[in-house]
Amino acid sequence: MLGGSACGKSGWAEDLACRLGGPLIYLATMEPWGQEGAERIARHRRARAGKGFTTLEQPRNLESCSIPPHATVLLEDLGNLAANEVFAGEAIDKAAALSALDRGLRVLEEKAEHLVVVGNDLFRDGEDYPPETMAYLDVLAQVQADLSKRYDLVAELVCGIPVFWKGEPI
Amino acid sequence: MILIIGGRGAGKREFAQKTLGCAPEKTLPNLQVREPLPSLEELLGYEAVICDEVGCGVVPLERKARERREAIGRLCCQLAREAQAVYRLQCGLAMRLK
Repeated sequence: MLGGSACGKSGWAEDLACRLGGPLIYLATMEPWGQEGAERIARHRRARAGKGFTTLEQPRNLESCSIPPHATVLLEDLGNLAANEVFAGEAIDKAAALSALDRGLRVLEEKAEHLVVVGNDLFRDGEDYPPETMAYLDVLAQVQADLSKRYDLVAELVCGIPVFWKGEPI
Repeated sequence: MILIIGGRGAGKREFAQKTLGCAPEKTLPNLQVREPLPSLEELLGYEAVICDEVGCGVVPLERKARERREAIGRLCCQLAREAQAVYRLQCGLAMRLK
């Protein structure tokens, strides 16, 4: 699931996960830095309430989380997960971040019956940024391109409306 | 109300007037620069509402800029829900999303 900020991708991804069924696991990747982060998390929790998700906090090392059998996992979101990996150490190591993300996602794909990943469209403002930000953008873009190759469905949310780039509309 | 979105210079206004035949006085262009943002009720009174897509870039460092971008995104989601049609413009071409 791709899209810009406040495009409705979370709600759509949640409803998709509910349709896929099984035990519903919400894999939260955001570290709740500051008041705004806490508010954002609270807003997402309210929106998710009553949909039957069990929340797991996993800001890094996806491969270590324990997933029950036949679960549908909703990972939100890739932008945070990538930031947590890229900015984890003193110096930025794109290759290390990419391989950590790839390893974690592949293990998760094995454990989950269905996996829905919320990504981020951060790439279309035509601006240049400092090297650390550009490195982060490179890593996120690469991971999303890798996932879109091997996943069944790629949808972009535009004003709450899904646009399907790959796979059958569901 | 018809919602028309797209990047800068994508041909949204021309599409509204020439293709859809919306009257300029009943068209609200540049929703993304209105301060404060109009209410949903007010916007539903127009024939067409035009808004640049502003959420597809790096998240701004400043809290105010972040919140503004999200407010525009959420308002566009509400508008799209109520709209009789939603179009997204790209280099002068329109894709009907709803």
